[in-house]
Parts: sequence; C-alpha cells; structure tokens
Amino acid sequence: MKRIILLSVVIFMFLGASAQKFMTKTGYVGFFSHTPMEDIKGDNNQSASVLDISTGELVFQLLVKSFHFDRALMEEHFNENYMESDEFPKSTFKGKITNLSSVDFSKPGKYNVTVEGDLYIHDVTNKISVKGELEVLAGGINATSKFNVIPEDYKINIPGVVREKIAKNLEVSVNMKYTPVESK
Amino acid sequence: MKPLIRIVLFVVFFLALAGILAGLYMYNKQHKDLLKEKPDYMITSVDLQKAFEENESTAAGKFTGKILEVSGIIGSAKQGEENTISVTLLTGSDFSSVICTFSSSISVSKLTAGEQITIRGECSGFLMDVLLNNCVVTE
Repeated sequence: MKRIILLSVVIFMFLGASAQKFMTKTGYVGFFSHTPMEDIKGDNNQSASVLDISTGELVFQLLVKSFHFDRALMEEHFNENYMESDEFPKSTFKGKITNLSSVDFSKPGKYNVTVEGDLYIHDVTNKISVKGELEVLAGGINATSKFNVIPEDYKINIPGVVREKIAKNLEVSVNMKYTPVESK
Repeated sequence: MKPLIRIVLFVVFFLALAGILAGLYMYNKQHKDLLKEKPDYMITSVDLQKAFEENESTAAGKFTGKILEVSGIIGSAKQGEENTISVTLLTGSDFSSVICTFSSSISVSKLTAGEQITIRGECSGFLMDVLLNNCVVTE
C-alpha cells in the first residue's frame, strides 16, 4: 500500500511538473553575415530547447556541426578554422525571461519578452540580453528572436584574407516551436 | 638568357592559372551527394544510439562527420521549424532517438510511424539524440 501511495505521489509530481515544460528538438538557429563582398548564411535545424513557463527558464543546446551552408567550403571553414567544432562541439544558452509576469500563458497571443543569460560559444561564455517574441498557441508556444553576435567576443579569429568577406556583426535568428513535454 | 626568361615567365603564368582554377574549384565545391557517396558505417538506430549512450566521446570520435547508413523503425515524421523534415528512428531508449533531418523536399505522408526505413546522413554528433544531417532515403 505504501508503495502505491509513493508511486502515485511520484507520478502526480511528474505530471504536475511536466505540464509547465515545453520543448523542441528541431528548433532553428541561423546566422547571417552581410558584406559587400559576400552574403553568408548558416542554418541549424537540430537545436534543442526547453522552456519552463513556471520559472521563465530557457535552455538552448545545439551542435556546431549541424550548421548547414550553401557552399561546402564555407561549412568546412566554419567547422575547422573558426568554430573548431571537433574541440568545441556544442553551443548553449541558459537564461531566463526577465518579464515573465507580462506573459499570460493561458491566453493565446503574442507577447514581447526580454531574455537574459549566458551564451556559450567556442569555449567562451558571455552574458547577453536579447529581445524576443513568444506566441502562445492552443497546443504550444512559438518563440522567435533576432540579435547580434560579434565573433571576436567569442575568441573566433577570422584571418585577414577573408576578414572583408565576413561581417563584424552577425545577425542570429531563432525560431522555436515548443510543444508540451508529455509524460509517458 | 632570353629563352630562360621566357620559360620562367611561362612557368609563373601556368602556376598562377592553376592556383586560380584550384581556388575557383574549391570555392564552388559542391556538398557531397549522399545518394552516390558510399557510407562509412552501416548500423541500426538501436546500436548507434547505444554507442553514444555508453561512451559519448568514443562514439563521437568514431561517427561524427562520417556518412552513416542507419536502418530502424520510424518513430515519428514531422515538419521542422524552417522547411525541413525531421524523422526520428526508435532506439532502446524512451528519451533518446536518432533524429534525421532532411533538407530536400520529401513528403511526410510517405513516412509512416512503425515502418522500417534506411536513411543515409552525415552524423553531427549527439545532443540528447544522435543527429544526422542532409539525409536521404536509400530504400
């Protein structure tokens, strides 16, 4: 009997907790570099992210090798020369929505949010604060954001020969379609 | 003396031309066509996920960046966030699968959960799942 009670308590806690969490494993993170010489775009459609709507905590994780480029050579340079993805395979972001109270998760609609946290790229962690939008839907939550990242801030060295081809400031786009984490 | 200069000039010109052509070739190099490329490893989704779960760094060293031909049972097939299709293959774990991302336009309706499939893709490594990129269906 004790065991059954314990089990039901655990199940209840799990159900209670899981209703607050939303997740995706096919999220999009891309970056765009524009210079008069060349436009470069990298797309990653395998980003994983979890959003906890009770605390506003947000976690993103992606593999650097999942970025796809139009040109094979760019992909090679990106991985080998700039991101050194064999040595530093993952990038992460851990942060929090700072204006969580202005989002009503029970009411479908679009809400502007500010997210603050630690962005980890190329073995360097920086504090960032970005603006984004949450769209609360009947069956999930969409999150989008656009912000800038400066490669030099993450000790990503771009040699002089190609310096003119890569923007000093990269525009990063995020598009996540979260669905509730269901317990099995 | 004169013929020597001519030869030197010719060699320099030839080397410069070769350099430019090699540069252009590299710059325009295409992505691997996975339908034509031979896979480095043929493995089941169950074994692949197990290898990463048991020892992530060993498995990453072996599989990351390689072309894998993975056979398994489709867990789900769905549209990703930006015009991609993601197919998950079942593994021994409830929480971790093999996620295969297709950039090309294949239709989800042809991919039914529970069916056996063989997919060729480039392994990006392991996050919570084993990730395969630029996937194609081989059979």
